[in-house]
Amino acid sequence: MKKRIPPGPTSSGKSFADISTRAQNGDAVVMTAMEFKEFVRTNGIKKAAKEVDIVTTGTFGAMCSSGAYFNFGHSDPPIKMQRAWLDGIPAYAGMAAVDVYLGATELDDSNNMMHGGAHVIEDFVRGRAVRLKATAHATDCYPLKEIDTYVSLKTINQAVLMNVRNCYQNYAAASNTSGRTLYTYMGKLLPELGNATYCSSGELSPLLNDPLYRTIGIGSRIFLGGGEGFVIWEGTQFNTGVERTPNGVPKRPAGSIAVLGDLKQMTSEFVKGLTFTRYGATLGLGIGVPIPILDEDMAKACAVTDKDISTAIFDYAQQTRARPVLAEVTYAQLGSGEVDIKGRRVPTSPLSSIYKARRIAELLKKSIAKGDFVVTEPVQRLPLDRSFKPLDTMNDKEAME
Amino acid sequence: MKTKLVLNFNPEASNLPITHNLTAKYGLLVNILRAEIDEVGGKMVIEVSGKAESIKNGIDYLKEAGVGVRPIKEGVRRDDDACTHCGVCISICPTKALSLDRETRKVIFTEEKCVACGVCIDACPPRAMEILI
Repeated sequence: MKKRIPPGPTSSGKSFADISTRAQNGDAVVMTAMEFKEFVRTNGIKKAAKEVDIVTTGTFGAMCSSGAYFNFGHSDPPIKMQRAWLDGIPAYAGMAAVDVYLGATELDDSNNMMHGGAHVIEDFVRGRAVRLKATAHATDCYPLKEIDTYVSLKTINQAVLMNVRNCYQNYAAASNTSGRTLYTYMGKLLPELGNATYCSSGELSPLLNDPLYRTIGIGSRIFLGGGEGFVIWEGTQFNTGVERTPNGVPKRPAGSIAVLGDLKQMTSEFVKGLTFTRYGATLGLGIGVPIPILDEDMAKACAVTDKDISTAIFDYAQQTRARPVLAEVTYAQLGSGEVDIKGRRVPTSPLSSIYKARRIAELLKKSIAKGDFVVTEPVQRLPLDRSFKPLDTMNDKEAME
Repeated sequence: MKTKLVLNFNPEASNLPITHNLTAKYGLLVNILRAEIDEVGGKMVIEVSGKAESIKNGIDYLKEAGVGVRPIKEGVRRDDDACTHCGVCISICPTKALSLDRETRKVIFTEEKCVACGVCIDACPPRAMEILI
């Protein structure tokens, strides 16, 4: 087994434990990512590393690879649900009796693709009653064949948001060279380079402030949808091998995190059902991560600005896995409202709400400063050696090679 | 002055050159914001500019010609609770009625600039925009 480097103190720095204890005693200096960057501009890295303990980051955007699992408790007589629906949206029930998983992008059986699992998750968070229907084969131990009832977060036994890939570290931007409007998960892309969309909170984004995952790891306590949650694993499609700047900032989608938290703590301000026309449903989710400033390297990492973070604008008119790159741009350029693509001025739109990302960083700062939110040291670091394998059609022999 | 009007036509009125007449006879500038026609008649959303008196006379002419006239104050409404201020709408709005405040990073909706074209409606992920005409 590969030996992992613990995220502990460096020779010249502060230890994670010291920072966490100081924060719990209300003595830590906590700044939002916005404040910290300003502090570094004025005072420099050395002073920032010495004086600041924790930087709070935030992001709010469409996070498709999300969902929630529910345990409903047992009916009388009991049922082993084989198929289940929450407000008409199919939930996966193949985990014994009364546990189901509702995916954010799951759609209802009608073909309008407007309403999905994400909207039901938001309804739960808003305290609304949700209709639960389930059918079963009926067994001697679970005799009931069907159930049709209402549940809400008040009545439900457990409701847990568990997302396999959130908080992407950098993301691709999109535009469209074709002659027709494209409806994509990157929004409505107007014909003939009519617009470009991008989806990252850039300099506020958690993993862009900790590009080599020194402090964000398995077990990190995070702000999740308005409540508290944890990083539980590397996110799916975790891909560390992409090109990076000398400071380690990836120029393409790289890391991501899998997260989990109690849905009962969350609020609809940070958990929103979204609809992308002709793509379907997805979950608008707010995540915030505190980053301890262990040493000057961490201070340097958190000083990153939109000018230092770049991504590529891909042509979504090409329906292939490897879409052609139209332009390399920084988030400062994207955020200016216009970018240059092949000599044309193309208006840009973010898909990620900087307004909400800032709010999350503020809320997290306040709750750390009050001692309500305890900053935790990861129990294991995220990997630095993961690649992203594609899915190709092959026969059984090829698949085993 | 300027005003926005919703015009409803029966099939007979659909054949009249009403926008031409508003300009030629009443000296009004007419900007067609939306126009649609089907088997039961047609609907048009226009913005007319001119003297108050001319606009009044123009509206009287339309009514006499059998055209239903309804002035509108707002064509599109935003649900402020639903809006997440992501900004996906700003690059598709042709009149820049939707824009991003560079300071607060909130999406600003300037109703006076809105021509109720409706392109933002299905582009808004939280479905915060509603067309009223």
